[in-house]
Amino acid sequence: MSINRREFIKANAVAAAAAVAGVSVPAIASNLITSSDITKLKWDKAPCRFCGTGCSVNVGVMDGKVVATHGDIKSPVNKGLNCVKGYFLSKIMYGKDRLTTPLLRMTNGKYDKEGEFTPISWDQAFDIMAEKAKETLKKSGPTAVGMFGSGQWTVQEGYAAVKLYKAGFRSNNIDPNARHCMASAVGGFMRTFGIDEPMGCYDDLEAADAFVLWGSNMAEMHPILWTRLTDRRLSAPHVKVAVLSTFEHRSFDLADNGMIFTPQTDLAILNYIAHYIISTGRVNKDFVNKHTNFRLGETDIGYGLRPEHPLEQKAKNNGKSKGSSTPIDFDEYAKFVSTYTVEYTSKLSGVPEHKLEALAELYADPKIKVTSFWTMGFNQHTRGVWANNLVYNIHLLTGKISTPGNSPFSLTGQPSACGTAREVGTFSHRLPADMVVTNPKHRAIAEKIWDLPEGTIPAKPGYHAVLQNRMLKDGKLNFYWVQCNNNMQAAANINEEAYPGYRNPKNFIVVSDPYPTVTAQAADLILPTAMWVEKEGVYGNAERRTQSWYQMVEAPTGAKSDLWQLVEFSKRFAIEDVWPEELIAKKPEVRGKTLYDVLFQNPSVAKFSLDEIPDERLNDESRDFGFYIQKGLFEEYASFGRGHAHDLAPYDRYHKERGLRWPVVNGKETKWRFKEGSDPYVKPGSGWDFYGHKDGRAIIFALPYEPPAESPDEEYDLWLSTGRVLEHWHSGSMTQRVPELYKAMPDALVYMHPDDAKSRGMRRGDLVKLISRRGEVQTRVETRGRNKPPVGLVYMPWFDASRLVNKVTLDATDPLSKQTDYKKCAIKIVKV
Amino acid sequence: MTQSSNSQTSEYHVASLIASCILAQVDEVKAAILAVDDTEIHVTSAEGKIVFTIEGTSHKDIGKKMDILRVHTGILNLSPVYHQVLDESVDDDATKQ
Repeated sequence: MSINRREFIKANAVAAAAAVAGVSVPAIASNLITSSDITKLKWDKAPCRFCGTGCSVNVGVMDGKVVATHGDIKSPVNKGLNCVKGYFLSKIMYGKDRLTTPLLRMTNGKYDKEGEFTPISWDQAFDIMAEKAKETLKKSGPTAVGMFGSGQWTVQEGYAAVKLYKAGFRSNNIDPNARHCMASAVGGFMRTFGIDEPMGCYDDLEAADAFVLWGSNMAEMHPILWTRLTDRRLSAPHVKVAVLSTFEHRSFDLADNGMIFTPQTDLAILNYIAHYIISTGRVNKDFVNKHTNFRLGETDIGYGLRPEHPLEQKAKNNGKSKGSSTPIDFDEYAKFVSTYTVEYTSKLSGVPEHKLEALAELYADPKIKVTSFWTMGFNQHTRGVWANNLVYNIHLLTGKISTPGNSPFSLTGQPSACGTAREVGTFSHRLPADMVVTNPKHRAIAEKIWDLPEGTIPAKPGYHAVLQNRMLKDGKLNFYWVQCNNNMQAAANINEEAYPGYRNPKNFIVVSDPYPTVTAQAADLILPTAMWVEKEGVYGNAERRTQSWYQMVEAPTGAKSDLWQLVEFSKRFAIEDVWPEELIAKKPEVRGKTLYDVLFQNPSVAKFSLDEIPDERLNDESRDFGFYIQKGLFEEYASFGRGHAHDLAPYDRYHKERGLRWPVVNGKETKWRFKEGSDPYVKPGSGWDFYGHKDGRAIIFALPYEPPAESPDEEYDLWLSTGRVLEHWHSGSMTQRVPELYKAMPDALVYMHPDDAKSRGMRRGDLVKLISRRGEVQTRVETRGRNKPPVGLVYMPWFDASRLVNKVTLDATDPLSKQTDYKKCAIKIVKV
Repeated sequence: MTQSSNSQTSEYHVASLIASCILAQVDEVKAAILAVDDTEIHVTSAEGKIVFTIEGTSHKDIGKKMDILRVHTGILNLSPVYHQVLDESVDDDATKQ
């Protein structure tokens, strides 16, 4: 009997894999996999919970538990494949230490900052939270309350949080952990194009003749896209792959031209390529004349450290002018980049001249279609916005942009860094659809859509991620809620900033998480959270693809989604608790109402009834609040972008599609933006139209190489770069709980060159201490394996909660994007 | 197909995977796959993609077997596609119908 059942599900498994591989298997009925009436499995689609690629997986549920998963063959992103993290996706919900009750630090039955975590009810949790928030608002005003959210929030969760903070509490102190991964990319897009997010899409992978990876280890961080890139490289022999990094990693296996450069000199290499294109007469003059402007950017802009830091004292232009620029012409630009000769650049970067020339030729040759990919190497950079600007320069000089295969493409690290953090605008300076709080017109639009009195949203940007930790430490941010991230592990320099901030007696820290992460353990109140298919939601991936999923299983009893937590908490505030009398007087009908009434249970958000949700479908939040809240929030949010080049389809359509790439106009998605014929927003007859800027032109920026904030010296004689690994996703709070993934990569090791180990009398496996000016961390030496640093640089991943490498990193940020540079600081290593 | 399955638990797991190989090493990779317990190769494409299954008694068991193959130098990508768990303690043989 069981043999039959085994054979049956095995046949399903084989049929699924064969279909993905594009081969037929004899005697297997191809429709077996959907025969849910026989298998009793209920299948539904969901985007993967992990990286920004946005793979779709099919999730099989039986008796309320996820028992089967497979890569979704209907997904244009992953075409049926999984990576190893996606494959074990169903297990992230079933870790043994899953939290199911709120926990408050208490002594003798009362809240005590120094007390032990004690189980309490949700009511008690919201009581103490509301008490602390109200106390803070009364004593110190809206700038003393804040929130740290996530690019892993669903669109609806991020949107509800923005409303609660920017409109409800009138505080812009809300920022996502996407600040750590995407802020420089956002800054680059806004500065060059005046509108956020990539113009191209993953279809570029099958159209390009050459790929250049700038500070991106796609083989480990974006394995599915890497599979597509590998397929392209192997099936079309003319295709070339160039990989640039400060150390050798897995993506070098496929590289035709692998280059190791000295940290920070990517800026010089980018300028050298521009110089090469100009000096060999390969500028696409027609494109440049019609579609670009040239500007000279401000320099010597500092390193985003505390103002008293010597580097900030020394910087000339780290004030308000740091992002400014002045117009120049092509000749002035050509002269500017002419200092970046191949000799100079090779000497500075350590990359041999012939390798630099081969790289530059890929961009310069008009017959080669080039796609550039980058992730944290560019973005976690004290000149991250510049690095983004400089790569666009190259694509703009050659007109290699917005057409299939010609694509400067910033990849994202989180499943909804684009959809939630960027498009919803959960940054401290942003509003939905690329709008900003500093612009009075933008505030007015938001206040109109949200039906708020004029002047509700404050004009001053709030504290960004790094500043939040500093303000917690300084006692200026006192009520702080962290959802859906693990910042005590992720933030730089946690020893000097984050930990003292969380434990500052003036502050009350709330952390919502499914698991007891190090951040949760540093909090005063922990809220147990539902995750992934335990709730309904929407994510937006790196190619502008918006994807939705339904709730498929119940969360463990006691765990509640972030959305429920945000909206339920809003019931605790009367409008008089949070708004001043003069604001209420402008809209007297809000008197006596709660924030819940004003922000959520209103004619806009609550207009879709429960009738739209079939009885057999789970939706805990909607049934609790009495209306289809996910749809209401999504539709209200979508109204910000419709007609403004951020158009989203009607909510219901996303449940039928494997995602759609915005802008979705007349029911059709947009693959390549800014190009006539593929983007409906482009003015007819213009060819290309960079409509983010009023004159339709993108900007080519003249920006120099400037040194990093900290370089090795006699005492701290090694570069430290941090990063991720294939098996673990970010801080490992989910993947470290999957035994198979933990076993494959249990501990974060420090990868170093054998010569560096030898000269320090160390051997593989030795216990060592990494010491910086800020702190130290112990780990073991690895001189072999997948990462091969050059002499003088070591690499250590940050997923391991037992070995917090961010105790030693420097909290230097890009002064424009406020994103931390985790890739460069100076350390020494000693034997323990 | 290699044999060794022993079922201490009542769970039966099956996973299907695709190994994309360097063409010159397909035979070597196939041999490496079959050297792992409870594997079966179902089909190989002309481009060097091998479709195979791994059976086991737990997620951990399957993961362990995958780990052995993941580091093979002839394999460019090892992509898991499908995974299902069967609880054989429940007598619910729907497929007999």
